[in-house]
Amino acid sequence: MSTNLDIKVHHLTRVEGHGNIVVNMTDGVLEKARLEIVEAPRYFEAMLKGRSFHEAAIITSRICGICSLGHQMTSFKATEQALGLEVSEQTVLLRKLLVHGATLQSNILHALFLAAPDFLKVGSVFPLVASHPDVVKAALRMKRLANEIAEVISGRAVHPISCVPGGFTALPTPAQLLSLKEKLENQMVPDLAFVAEVLASLAAEIPAFTRETEYISLRSDDDYALYDGDICSTDTGRVSDAEYLGMTNEFIVPHSTSKHCKVNRSSYMVGALARWNNNHDRLCPAALAVAGKLGLEPGCYNPFMNTIAQVVEAVHCALDSVEIIDELLTRGIVDEQPNQEPTRFGTGIGATEVPRGILYHEYTYDRQGRIAAANCVIPTGQNLGNIDDDMRQIVPEVLDRPEKEIAHLLEMLVRAYDPCISCSVHMLDVKFVK
Amino acid sequence: MKIVAVGNSLYGDDGVGAAVLDRIRADNLFPDAELIDAGTDALSLIDRFEPDGLNVVIDAAMMGCEPGRVQRFTPEQARLRIQWDHLSLHGFGLAETFAMAESIGCMPRRVVILGVEPEEIRIDRGLSDAVASAVPEVLQLIQAEVRDDEADHPGH
Repeated sequence: MSTNLDIKVHHLTRVEGHGNIVVNMTDGVLEKARLEIVEAPRYFEAMLKGRSFHEAAIITSRICGICSLGHQMTSFKATEQALGLEVSEQTVLLRKLLVHGATLQSNILHALFLAAPDFLKVGSVFPLVASHPDVVKAALRMKRLANEIAEVISGRAVHPISCVPGGFTALPTPAQLLSLKEKLENQMVPDLAFVAEVLASLAAEIPAFTRETEYISLRSDDDYALYDGDICSTDTGRVSDAEYLGMTNEFIVPHSTSKHCKVNRSSYMVGALARWNNNHDRLCPAALAVAGKLGLEPGCYNPFMNTIAQVVEAVHCALDSVEIIDELLTRGIVDEQPNQEPTRFGTGIGATEVPRGILYHEYTYDRQGRIAAANCVIPTGQNLGNIDDDMRQIVPEVLDRPEKEIAHLLEMLVRAYDPCISCSVHMLDVKFVK
Repeated sequence: MKIVAVGNSLYGDDGVGAAVLDRIRADNLFPDAELIDAGTDALSLIDRFEPDGLNVVIDAAMMGCEPGRVQRFTPEQARLRIQWDHLSLHGFGLAETFAMAESIGCMPRRVVILGVEPEEIRIDRGLSDAVASAVPEVLQLIQAEVRDDEADHPGH
């Protein structure tokens, strides 16, 4: 067994920032085990100052390509609460459909493009294309359908245009909704069954690691909370989203330019596994059946199972989307205009479950309808302390393995959380062929 | 024909593609082209490329030349740096998207990249003068692509 370890995994991701895994052990004493985020501090909050309520969601949705829709929804909710804008039930149903589409897309790509290559020991998704083309094609098919949900409901797959504060400027037709429903039933559901089969066959490859932590997610009485709900902790139960600051407690650490968070313990986890632990009783029977098949049980404390929880959720999102479409079709699409007449100018908080966990936006508007102050707490920031705590427990447990294997296990751990590292800039890095 | 912008318009010169699309819309240029702003979700392009027609992609590109310089190249002419060991889905960019499209056999036949060397990629900056003044050249190059394409592939 090694008593000295020096692991540095540097992931230079293009220009802006990167995540490094650093582990240092001397004479059996673990000195460092952490994920370092070296990223230019983000100025989105400052950028929002002085902007009108029409602009807030447009700006925040560009923070991140993958979490674009989540930022947009959360931004709408904060703005609508601050300005006293009521939205219709139809708007809420359409937004829930959008959230399902975004969750489906992110969860499936995470499970198949990031986690599955680890389970199949192929290094990355690129060799997977050659060895398991059916898996990659199913993932891309599901991504396409998820994009189509966004296109039909909000006018565009990336950076939606027709959803605005107070409602929608354009609405889907019943025929479009019916077509989506058919594709969800005839393509998405069988594809998800196939993905569940693939992952079931790989269950033995999921590292057996357990560390109980505090799990925080939204929780609702009515449904599996993604679009809305109270903040719920496995340690202390439910509180209103108005208490989000006390449920995040951001603080600065020297090794990361992203803030860390803690509530009742040294860290907590957000994301699919936290949602599962808090809300498994709200999932549809088919999703619970997949959970059973994949060995995901209530009170699961293995962060590597986050990937499995994402697949279980994806099944729920697909089937719940069908139910939402049925409800919309039964009610009939009402041709309504967005409510953009503020009844007050104050402070509003939006809390939404995005694929990686709870996202909070808080805005204060002045009397001209411009943002005077803004605060955004992103899921990755909330998970960073938990990742470090996982590393500190996992490293001593695997000291008998070669250093390279330990490093790979830690990369797998980070991938299980799919942190939002350096998503903001994607420049091409070009060397011309001579 | 599709004209595709990749990049984040909140980050200085990374927004050059979006700026070009804005100009095309404002001046109603290339009315037959579909304009796509992929933002930072390059992977979403994988099934939105035109399989048989022309795809012009505009992106900030680190090519080792002076800021504002525009270069035309095809994916085969350039070695786009692909990161194989991703810690996060957020790292998938255009290079990875092309590699993926190639390997599953859905790489469009005609892709032209117009790369613009950035000066500064910083949040809340807008385009640098060097890159802003390159926008007309990008438009001319798109025009030339359209002309060549019509000559080579009449009827498309």
